[in-house]
Amino acid sequence: MRAALLGLLLALPATAAPADGQQLFAHNCAACHMPDGAGIPGAFPALAGNAFVTGDPAAAAATVLNGRGGMPSFRDGLTDEEVAAVLSYVRAHFGNTAAAVPAETVAATRTGKAAEPARPMPAH
Amino acid sequence: MPMTRRSLLEGLAAVGGTSLLLMGMEAFGMGIASEASLPPPLQGGGKGKSVVILGAGIGGLTAAYELGRAGYRVTVIEARDFAGGRSQTAKAGFQLTELGGETQTCRFDAGHYINHGPWRIPFHQRSTLHYVKAFGVEVELFNNDNDASYVYFTKGGGPLANRPLRKMELAADMRGRAAEILAKSTKAGALDLPLSAEDRDLFVAYLTAEGYLDKASLDYAGTEGRGWLVKPGAGLVGGTPSTPYKLTDLLHSKAWQVLASVSNWDQQRTMFQPRGGMAMLPAAFAARVGKAIRYGTVVERIRQDGAGVTVSTRDAKGRVAEVKADYCLCTIPLSVLKMIDNGLSDGHRTAMNGVSYAPVGKIGLQMKRRFWEDNHAIYGGHVYTDNPDIGVISLPSTGWMGAKGVLLGYYNFMGDAAKVSALSPADRAKLAVAFGQKIFPEYADSFESAFSVAWHRVKYNLGGWATWSDEARARDYPVLLQPDGRIYLAGEHLSHIGGWQAGAIESAWMQIDAIHKRASAA
Repeated sequence: MRAALLGLLLALPATAAPADGQQLFAHNCAACHMPDGAGIPGAFPALAGNAFVTGDPAAAAATVLNGRGGMPSFRDGLTDEEVAAVLSYVRAHFGNTAAAVPAETVAATRTGKAAEPARPMPAH
Repeated sequence: MPMTRRSLLEGLAAVGGTSLLLMGMEAFGMGIASEASLPPPLQGGGKGKSVVILGAGIGGLTAAYELGRAGYRVTVIEARDFAGGRSQTAKAGFQLTELGGETQTCRFDAGHYINHGPWRIPFHQRSTLHYVKAFGVEVELFNNDNDASYVYFTKGGGPLANRPLRKMELAADMRGRAAEILAKSTKAGALDLPLSAEDRDLFVAYLTAEGYLDKASLDYAGTEGRGWLVKPGAGLVGGTPSTPYKLTDLLHSKAWQVLASVSNWDQQRTMFQPRGGMAMLPAAFAARVGKAIRYGTVVERIRQDGAGVTVSTRDAKGRVAEVKADYCLCTIPLSVLKMIDNGLSDGHRTAMNGVSYAPVGKIGLQMKRRFWEDNHAIYGGHVYTDNPDIGVISLPSTGWMGAKGVLLGYYNFMGDAAKVSALSPADRAKLAVAFGQKIFPEYADSFESAFSVAWHRVKYNLGGWATWSDEARARDYPVLLQPDGRIYLAGEHLSHIGGWQAGAIESAWMQIDAIHKRASAA
């Protein structure tokens, strides 16, 4: 019930425009990983020069989809195309030079169920 | 006298005591095994034994209070200069510096505040209410559902989208319209219902009452509970009824998404809040265990051996110290604990990676005038929106009919909270005020000052609350409930009441019970 209602409330309209990695990064990642990808030592890992980020695309996609430690799951908030776009952006900026991530890689990684989402505020 | 379920349970209790009573309740599907109303009795006491508690949030304070009462030697290590963890109240002078952000100083007028962490205590969270009562913390009702409040949905269409609807209008009309269809279809035999003729009549009678339908025609033509066009008064005419909305307009507005037969278990109407702010609750704990707390002291390293636990700490002046104890109860959020040299086993460290933490944002807006009360007759409760940056606008359940008030301008989660938190405090306030202005014409003119928090950027929390996927709940959560040697973990993150103070309290109760049994056997 809670999850169903939240799904309704958070359902994002499908957009025809191609996902903009830079804008997605600003909206979803920059608050913690900082606009320059440098992170905050001891709290938020730097994405610049991060071997995990530039390594196995499936592992990086799984982290965005499922969250890890202090990082939330973006499974419900971002489409496969958007996860691919933001990962590709991060892998090609801040001094990183790794290959882009195709949406298919994200789709293949998207298994299982999301973490229980934050509670909405239902009325009755 | 017929044997009711209650009288049977009372009989079981009389014959077999509590355990038989519990078994009986389990058999009725009323099991209470995972919920606790009272702290565990630490029989025999803890004289000569010691526990170091990491974190003076509600979980750590609970453990410190109960273990201290039982005679344990307790030391609490707290990074902040105050107790309470996330149970904070921002009032004039309160400061917060988010990681990567500027320092905010709360500029609200005296007597005004925002609970930017937990803010309400549901009536059924008996564990939290146990301490409210035991410590004499003064509480007031928190209005968690207000019929007069607005629902403002922007993603639908038609004449009812993008305008505030009173929840009473929406609920009356949507349910009245639905009851009318169902009642008429049932009466006409249009539905293949597995009901006897008598049951069908009763069902129609129920729908008639539920939807305020005309008994003869089964029409829904509005009801006074949705509000009046002209309210009844002392004049010649006894009020002018309002006109219900059309079903198609209601459906297209999508505003019905806020309706459900009953609220979720943790969102029902009757809630409490401490008078003066949520920080009053940890303050009541701290008044009782204060001497055991080392404030402004961070945990740098945790180690254990067969004899005990050693916690290395550093205080605000850079002085390092070691605290040794027989056992450790660690209530540090897992998002933070995993960044500390925690000395935990590989099993525990792997399991900690299974949890993720929710980005959560809140903003308090001080308004120079209580226009929601004066002009809109909304006393407390939430304005519901489908704008995920805002979530809800909540009107204060305190300071009724006073001059000013602080309302909650947004309550956002997950990716939306991440997005809004990338804004400066001033821009967050702008975003909140601009949206509120669409609902209340007095909003922008009344706005005076703001205080916002993004919990994922708060140094000693790194998230609003723990969230568990089904897989991690099954795979990792049970691991973390078990002690790692002499180190026990507790907090809202290790409960099924995540994000609530009750989760932290009951988790602490469970773990101090386990520590006590082990210490008593040793």
